[in-house]
Amino acid sequence: MTRWGMVIDLARCTGCAACEVACKSENNIPTVSPDQAEMGRATSWMRVMAEPKGAFPDTTLEFYPRPCMHCDNPPCIKVCPVRATYIDPEGIVGQIYPRCIGCRYCANACPYTVKYFNWYGPEWPESERQYRNPDVSVRAKGVIEKCTFCHHRLQKAREDARAQGRQLREEDYQPACAEICPTDAIVFGDLDNPTHRVAELKEDPRVMRLMEDLGTQPKVYYLRQRT
Amino acid sequence: MGSTRRQFLWAMGATAASVGVRWTSDVVWAAQGSGDPGWSPGTERFVNSSCLVCPARCGIRGRVVDDRLVRLTGNPFHPMSRGGLCPRGVAGVQLLYHPDRISAPCRRVGARGAQAWEEITWDDALGQLGARLQSLRQRGQPEALALLAGYCAGSMHDLWQQFLQSYGSPNYIADDYDDGTAAVMELMHGIGRSPGYDLERAGFVLSFGAPLFEAWWSPLQAFAAFAGPDGDNGAPTRFVQVDTRFSRTAARAHDWAGIRPGTFGVLALGIAYVLIRDELYDAEFVARHVSGFEDVADAGGERREGYRSLVMRNYRTEEVSAVTGVPVGRITSLARAFAEAAHPVAVCGPDVTHAPNGLLAACAVHSLNVLMGSVSRPGGVLFGNEAPLAPLAAPVVDPRGRAGLDRGPLAPSQTPFGRGDPAMRFAGAVAAGEAGAVDTLLLYYANPLASALRRQVWEEALQRIPFIVSFSPFHDETTAHADLILPDLLAYERWQDAPTPASYPYPVWGVVRPLVDPHPGARHTGDAVLAVARQLGGSVARSLPYESFETLLKARAAGLFATRRGMTLGDAFELRHQQQMEERGWWLPEHREFEAFWDEAVDRGGWTDPFIDETEPAGLARTSSGRIELLPARLLEALATVGEGRTAYLDVAAAAAGGSDDFPLRLIPYRVSTLSSGTLPLQRWLAETPGLFPDVHWDPWIEVAPTTANTLGFANDTMVWVVSAHGRYRARLKVFPGTAPQNVCAPYGLRHPDGEPANPLHLLDGSSDPLTALPNWFTTFVRLERA
Amino acid sequence: MHRDVAEKLAKLPPDEQVLLRPLVDTSRWFYVGAAVCGAITLWGIIAYVLQVRYGLGRTGLNRPEYWGIYIICFVFFIGISHAGTLISAILRISKAEWRRSITRSAELITVLVIGFGAIQPVIDLGRPDRVLNVLFHAQPLSPLLWDVVSIGLYFFSCTIYLYLPLLPDLAVIRDSGIKAPRLYRFLAAGYRDTPAQRLQLERAIGVLSIIVIPIAVSVHTVIGWIFAMTLRPMWHSTIFGPYFVMGAIYSGIAAILVAMAVLRRVYRLEGYFKEVHFDYLGRLLLIFSLLWFYFTFAEYLTAFYGGEPGEMRTFWAKLTGRFAVPFWAMVAGCFVIPLALMSRQATRTPVGTSIAGIAVVIGMWLERYNIVVPTSVNPRWEIEGVGHYLPSWIELSIMAATFSGFILLYMIATKFVPIVSIWEIKEGRASVQEVAERVAHYSERVA
Ligand SMILES: Nc1nc2c(c(=O)[nH]1)N[C@H]1C(S)=C(S)[C@@H](COP(=O)(O)OP(=O)(O)OC[C@H]3O[C@@H](n4cnc5c(=O)[nH]c(N)nc54)[C@H](O)[C@@H]3O)O[C@H]1N2
Ligand SMILES: Nc1nc2c(c(=O)[nH]1)N[C@H]1C(S)=C(S)[C@@H](COP(=O)(O)OP(=O)(O)OC[C@H]3O[C@@H](n4cnc5c(=O)[nH]c(N)nc54)[C@H](O)[C@@H]3O)O[C@H]1N2
Ligand code: SF4
Ligand code: SF4
Ligand code: SF4
Ligand code: SF4
Ligand code: SF4
Ligand SMILES: [Mo]
Repeated sequence: MTRWGMVIDLARCTGCAACEVACKSENNIPTVSPDQAEMGRATSWMRVMAEPKGAFPDTTLEFYPRPCMHCDNPPCIKVCPVRATYIDPEGIVGQIYPRCIGCRYCANACPYTVKYFNWYGPEWPESERQYRNPDVSVRAKGVIEKCTFCHHRLQKAREDARAQGRQLREEDYQPACAEICPTDAIVFGDLDNPTHRVAELKEDPRVMRLMEDLGTQPKVYYLRQRT
Repeated sequence: MGSTRRQFLWAMGATAASVGVRWTSDVVWAAQGSGDPGWSPGTERFVNSSCLVCPARCGIRGRVVDDRLVRLTGNPFHPMSRGGLCPRGVAGVQLLYHPDRISAPCRRVGARGAQAWEEITWDDALGQLGARLQSLRQRGQPEALALLAGYCAGSMHDLWQQFLQSYGSPNYIADDYDDGTAAVMELMHGIGRSPGYDLERAGFVLSFGAPLFEAWWSPLQAFAAFAGPDGDNGAPTRFVQVDTRFSRTAARAHDWAGIRPGTFGVLALGIAYVLIRDELYDAEFVARHVSGFEDVADAGGERREGYRSLVMRNYRTEEVSAVTGVPVGRITSLARAFAEAAHPVAVCGPDVTHAPNGLLAACAVHSLNVLMGSVSRPGGVLFGNEAPLAPLAAPVVDPRGRAGLDRGPLAPSQTPFGRGDPAMRFAGAVAAGEAGAVDTLLLYYANPLASALRRQVWEEALQRIPFIVSFSPFHDETTAHADLILPDLLAYERWQDAPTPASYPYPVWGVVRPLVDPHPGARHTGDAVLAVARQLGGSVARSLPYESFETLLKARAAGLFATRRGMTLGDAFELRHQQQMEERGWWLPEHREFEAFWDEAVDRGGWTDPFIDETEPAGLARTSSGRIELLPARLLEALATVGEGRTAYLDVAAAAAGGSDDFPLRLIPYRVSTLSSGTLPLQRWLAETPGLFPDVHWDPWIEVAPTTANTLGFANDTMVWVVSAHGRYRARLKVFPGTAPQNVCAPYGLRHPDGEPANPLHLLDGSSDPLTALPNWFTTFVRLERA
Repeated sequence: MHRDVAEKLAKLPPDEQVLLRPLVDTSRWFYVGAAVCGAITLWGIIAYVLQVRYGLGRTGLNRPEYWGIYIICFVFFIGISHAGTLISAILRISKAEWRRSITRSAELITVLVIGFGAIQPVIDLGRPDRVLNVLFHAQPLSPLLWDVVSIGLYFFSCTIYLYLPLLPDLAVIRDSGIKAPRLYRFLAAGYRDTPAQRLQLERAIGVLSIIVIPIAVSVHTVIGWIFAMTLRPMWHSTIFGPYFVMGAIYSGIAAILVAMAVLRRVYRLEGYFKEVHFDYLGRLLLIFSLLWFYFTFAEYLTAFYGGEPGEMRTFWAKLTGRFAVPFWAMVAGCFVIPLALMSRQATRTPVGTSIAGIAVVIGMWLERYNIVVPTSVNPRWEIEGVGHYLPSWIELSIMAATFSGFILLYMIATKFVPIVSIWEIKEGRASVQEVAERVAHYSERVA
């Protein structure tokens, strides 16, 4: 059974935030005005979180690129009154934008705070429309959105593979963040397929997941710093 | 009748209701109209090119759907960036479609700075410029034409140079990335170019403040080395960062040491002390290739101390520790780790050189490479070759031009080494000199009113220049003062070349090519210059006999085709194959025809030569002695004349040690990795989340230590004025544990959402290194006031 | 008042005279009050229209502060709604005689307030146009769906529970002819107060009062569960169900007290809302203030002992941090003030109880605030910055409109139904004898 997942090597991540911007570019994530951003309404499906500790000069800092964890046991979907957020058979947690009633219950249920709400309708000034990705829908106002594992790329890759009469390969389906990462810190693939790199990496002794104790079973794994 | 009226009303009601429903769903709920570009399915293409946002010039690949650029990713064939990009590179699409783009050539109609423009045609615009230049030359004043060129990559640089030379103006003012390391290499190796670092094969990178992962020559080069070879068959490079603040680079380096500002050189020599004391240095290399290490008796029989004695006498670890604030044990362990690593290399950047004793400190840092023999060998400092392009057509200079050139540049460098800050020097000379010394100023990729240290000086200078032409594609501060704007195409619409910076030792000649149809109102500045040259005729036209910039590029690429080494860009396997071939002295042509070679180079994104012959003695030193000079005679001479009593390897600490009561905190400006240089218009993706702080969006901020904030009584997020003796600006105070208590770290490249600039560089004290004239970026002291 | 109406009124028995007077005699102050409330309500409606037009961006909500004033008011109003039906049902079942004059006003609060509570989550929706998706795409695992079901049921049963005991009074009004004969003919639905009808009615009321209790309990339990079913710090707690039910009843009692004190003054009902009613309800309030303390203490103590870092951030934010003011104000309003006032006979007066009631109502609103906001702004992952929340004028207007709308409807309702149940009062008077006997019976010494 295919189970899409991600391994992020914290020893490789330099916190450059290319993944963040690549995700915005790929997924038509609208920007908001400065005062809206100040209010906490900026959207970033991928966000590089930083945790500084200690005092100069004994400071340390950990970067955690944070997409949706695509939990195998996602607390967000249980609470949705209309099934507008769901987990598909391959483990991708998705959103049905045209059905969402905008109650934001899922957003509260997600312990990783990765759900973003469209407080206003997205603003697409003429200049910004030019570079919209035609493969990804633009979300209307009043609905929840979040990282989709670039699901549209899977659909495209499937179609291409089918058209060429071959199996889907690991490199056919790579989300935008994994594709751009300059240090290859983000590895993506099928966790259940032993030929995929993620399957091997998730057995690494450095592996951990965020808030594992909550039992959400995230499919985004992190590899700790080497010591 | 009654029933028809009722039907009518029903129909009206139903129509109104359906309109109402449509209105609510379209206007109230749905995303904006679906008929706009993003929605047509379109046909997609992937096109390789190069990024021109910063000096790194990574390989990019554009996803183009129906002539719209919808995404930028890395070009996996590019040997330096290998398919990766930094966030600014990705956000390039927001530059291309930036709302501030200028849509046609403009002539000023109102007062200067009033931003009143009249749109004119390109023929008209070029005609006006040509006529002005023609008459200037005819009046015998070609030197009154000046060009301020900021970021001028590849052949654009050569084109401008040739243009000005054949025209007769010596006033080509380059305001680009000069980190002062070229001067160090010139002195110690007789090779006047910035060093390349073979980071990938290095075992240990000791970086003295160089923001390798943020704003270095090429962050992507550093990333590639940091990520290590794919598949773990080689050991990954170990990075150790010495820095004055806990930068992103320090955060992600394998280890880091905090240091007092201005003491990088002292620490380097403290490490050298341990290397010599414990005999960890490469004695054989030093004996064979280095001079100035041992004491010598000079011609007069007088004994002159060499490097070894200077270091051993003055840089005992305890003393070094006291100056730098790095504990003794740490210095020793750094030195040991450096010496024991397989391929150690010390990296020094602008942060070392932009200091009162920058040149001396940079020599000190580089001396570590010399001690370890980390020069011209794998993993060390490599002086790469430039891509062997065919030269431009031979420049023709007529007597008029010769006369202009002979009058010399308006503001020549006064210091023995380096160029210093030529733009500020130029502005100072114009502001102080007679009006009309400069008649026409061309601005290419330059926005001095926003980026220069002293805005007022530039304002005065601009007032004294009768005619100002800007090629900027965006409305910016300086463009507002222009008389004529000839908007350039953006890098995603034009032909250019993008050679990688010197830091990447292997020559890569990246091709920049149009990804989408050019903006109809803009024109490639290269093409505009060629057109003006044709119009001027004579020597200028003969020096630049190119139909377009594209043909110029192609003509130059013929040099690559002819060189019998290198290859068009290819994947890792092709690259390794080529490298192994060249190592064995083989080279096979990929193409019979130049056209095919050109097509493939364009298609793949450029040309590279993956092999450097490290056994070539010229790669080590081209000094008269053939040895690396630890105590270069020219340096000693210069120190004797303008050195203000300084001595090589002794005065490597920067002067200002502490603040005053009025200005107690040291200002440490730094560049945010997510923001573009200087004054490019802000890209929304980047400005929305520019830094580490999850709650900072758009706002300029500064960082202070928790203890400092406490003492000053400022809570996190207070708006403060950062005040120096030279200016002030407003920023949000962020408490950050990685800041040393006596410092204020101030990112540059930000502005307030309302456009108010927040440039810490405007606060700088204006002092400079007397040897290189490079401005001091880290000697300014400030205080914070509640805003 | 028209002369003929006055005449008709004068013909009625004394209880009817007093209790029906407000239906036909309206003071100028009433109109002023109604106009003010109406204006505020209209203002709130405009605010809502703006919110719908421009989006929830017009609120102060953000990430991670996804829920704010609307959800606070939702929990608060539904809580208040436990006033009437639940209390009146419990009192009815336990045959507490003193209930007779207070049940009607309490039940009326319930029905009106459920409506105002239930629209809050709809106001809070990003896409109110899709609210019916809750039916079309129902997802039974979602506590929000349970909520829709139980509130719907509660509203339905409460309305009936209000209506049935109204029937005899409606018949009286119809028969007296003092007001809108056609309306009351319709409302009274042919009720003639025959002994058979009366028997049937009392049976139905009896059955309903039993049914309505578990429904009421379910309503607020489920509301508590909405929070408890998430993994957020200080929400994910088993105590939330009972805690919410207890709090709901508590705020309900307080609301009744306040309403009674007001009605007593404006409609001169001293003869019906007697000191003893305030005294008894005051005692109930006292018990609940202690219960409230017990539950709150239990909640915080368990959180504290767990010491889980995510929880502790919220915990300390409430106790000593940014939310210390609302937190301790809540403790004052829900515990200190009512305890101080209600533990002494001397202050269990109408004035004393209304002060305590107001304190509790405010305190309970703050409790909802302290549940919703501090947790929302403190995400579980510490690296995530602490959020902030400042309600916008739109939210405050809509909240004000909710209060004023409720008051307005309540005022209007007092113009259409007697606010004290006439027939129950009469029945009470008639049954003094029977009650005395009953009391005598169970105080009898068993020989
Ligand atoms: N991201 C990005 N990269 C760029 C550019 C860009 O726009 N964006 N532009 C390019 C250009 S034009 C330039 S000039 C370069 C600039 O490159 P740099 O000059 O390297 O840029 P900064 O980040 O300002 O580096 C200054 C560093 O020096 C450290 N430092 C602090 N105090 C002292 C001190 O007292 N002495 C010394 N010696 N160092 C100290 C600071 O911590 C800071 O990290 O970047 C180039 N690369
Ligand atoms: N605020 C601020 N000031 C700075 C710095 C900073 O980072 N921030 N850095 C300092 C340093 S290190 C340097 S080197 C200088 C650099 O300062 P400048 O030489 O002024 O360079 P930039 O600010 O990078 O860009 C100048 C202008 O080039 C124009 N431009 C952009 N793209 C194109 C194009 O494709 N074609 C043409 N013709 N023009 C284009 C833009 O309008 C931009 O305003 O600034 C210094 N001052
Ligand atoms: S792109 Fe890669 S290295 Fe950069 S922040 Fe994202 S995960 Fe880290
Ligand atoms: S991370 Fe959050 S949004 Fe994503 S699946 Fe898990 S609970 Fe749902
Ligand atoms: S906001 Fe949308 S997706 Fe989330 S729970 Fe509500 S209806 Fe479901
Ligand atoms: S997987 Fe796709 S949607 Fe998710 S963070 Fe990465 S780029 Fe964004
Ligand atoms: S490092 Fe410079 S050249 Fe490379 S992608 Fe970033 S901005 Fe472009
Ligand atoms: Mo620069």
